Amino acid sequence: MMKIFLYSREKFEFVDEIKKYLGETVSKAKVEVRGDFINYFSGTETEKLALEIARIRVTDVNAPFAYSESLYGEIEHEKRVLSGNGSSFGVLYDGFKLHGILQSLIPAEERNLDSIHIILTDRLFGTFDEEDLRYHARVIVCGFPSIISTTGVVEAPAKPREFYIEKQLLGGDKIAIEDLKKKFEGQFIDYDDPRMPDVLKGYVMQAIFYHVFREAFCEDKNCRLYNAHWQEEMIHAQLKRPEFCKRHERLAGLL
Amino acid sequence: MFDRVTEKEVTRAIVEGFAKDFAEYAESDVIIVGGGPSGLTAAKELASAGVKTLIVERNNYLGGGFWIGGYLMNKVTVRAPGHKVLDEIGVPYEEYSKGLYVTNGPHACSKLIAAACDAGTMVLNMTKLDDVVLREKNRVAGVVINWTPISALPREITCVDPVSIESKIVIDSTGHDAEVVDALVRRGLMKVKGFGGMWVEKSEDAVVEHTGFAHPGLIVTGMAVSTVYGLPRMGPTFGAMLLSGKKAAEIAIEHLQK
Repeated sequence: MMKIFLYSREKFEFVDEIKKYLGETVSKAKVEVRGDFINYFSGTETEKLALEIARIRVTDVNAPFAYSESLYGEIEHEKRVLSGNGSSFGVLYDGFKLHGILQSLIPAEERNLDSIHIILTDRLFGTFDEEDLRYHARVIVCGFPSIISTTGVVEAPAKPREFYIEKQLLGGDKIAIEDLKKKFEGQFIDYDDPRMPDVLKGYVMQAIFYHVFREAFCEDKNCRLYNAHWQEEMIHAQLKRPEFCKRHERLAGLL
Repeated sequence: MFDRVTEKEVTRAIVEGFAKDFAEYAESDVIIVGGGPSGLTAAKELASAGVKTLIVERNNYLGGGFWIGGYLMNKVTVRAPGHKVLDEIGVPYEEYSKGLYVTNGPHACSKLIAAACDAGTMVLNMTKLDDVVLREKNRVAGVVINWTPISALPREITCVDPVSIESKIVIDSTGHDAEVVDALVRRGLMKVKGFGGMWVEKSEDAVVEHTGFAHPGLIVTGMAVSTVYGLPRMGPTFGAMLLSGKKAAEIAIEHLQK
């Protein structure tokens, strides 16, 4: 029997809602909610992990990833984050390197095709695009495990074009940017947005489709599996009904 | 009207008072270099917890940039939850918009200075950092200091040697200059990051999050944090400075209790 393991820090109170959704949508699988992925598997190895994670910070968004020498304070900061006494707000990690670190923590007995590991995290990660030669923040890195970023839901898909034009005029004035956000309220998912759990359900389904059918994304903008690059597209794909295009509706029925 | 005292008595009072304090604080629990908003908040918290705390300030006044807001206007802004520090020191403020508070700079700054001093913080002003004191494994264990005016004179004609004071922890709250960090960088003991992948909108959060030990024995707080980790410069809002100072104190207290 297929098992879906959902990992989430305690503060994601919506994880039970996602579990309930999966229970209805993926009826052939057993869904288990576990705590924070790293704490669940790493035990007391936080020192080594903090070092590894500090090394995968993206230090230049306009250059391909390169390991850099981590600062003492960066490692200390990662230790605090790992122990639950800090947050990674403000840091961008390389998504593929992060995936590699997390994958290495999964024990051999749970490395099989019947186990789907899905991690919900507030870390922001990105991947380097070889075409425009810069990093782009991502919501999801599909794989074994799949990683979904709640921060990525807010930061990765682009907000309305007009938002950025007006923001450009404000420079780094964060207070004015908060005011600007109010002007565009509803047009993008923000932190503590009540729509966040519904949006995450779609990305969790992308992870499951990738694991089972090796296809995470759909070309149809009306399907939950659509790889949205704009907030408007993401909100449409995730919140409108029916959830899936006809083909993926049929495939979802097999799950 | 006034009691009769002679000039020599005034001089002796100054010298003996200063010498007594200086001798006592030649060894402190925590030395805070820089008396701006983050340093003062850290000092208030530390001294309130009974930690022997000394602020080293290069100017003759404390407060740094906390006296005034942007464009030399003496209104300072604080974003929630930074306003809780204003509550603690009894500074009135108005809510300008949701989560944004505005108060008078002189009132807030003078109250913060008073709160730090009332808690028992000692201050050495007109004193400039010259270097750091190092111990085993290059742990920072104090600072080398000199009078501020000395640094303005040509080294060839001054030849005024500095003195050293020791502490269990040093806090760098010298703003963008990050002077203590810079002393370690000059010695090749530490590196700092240039501008990197941090997000501009999250720079205030990131300053607070990254407040902590940047080198054994050395905590960075306030805008010195942004220099070390390459965070973007921030606008004229002081919430992150106050909360960063608070966090620096918490980390120092936790370390001292080990």
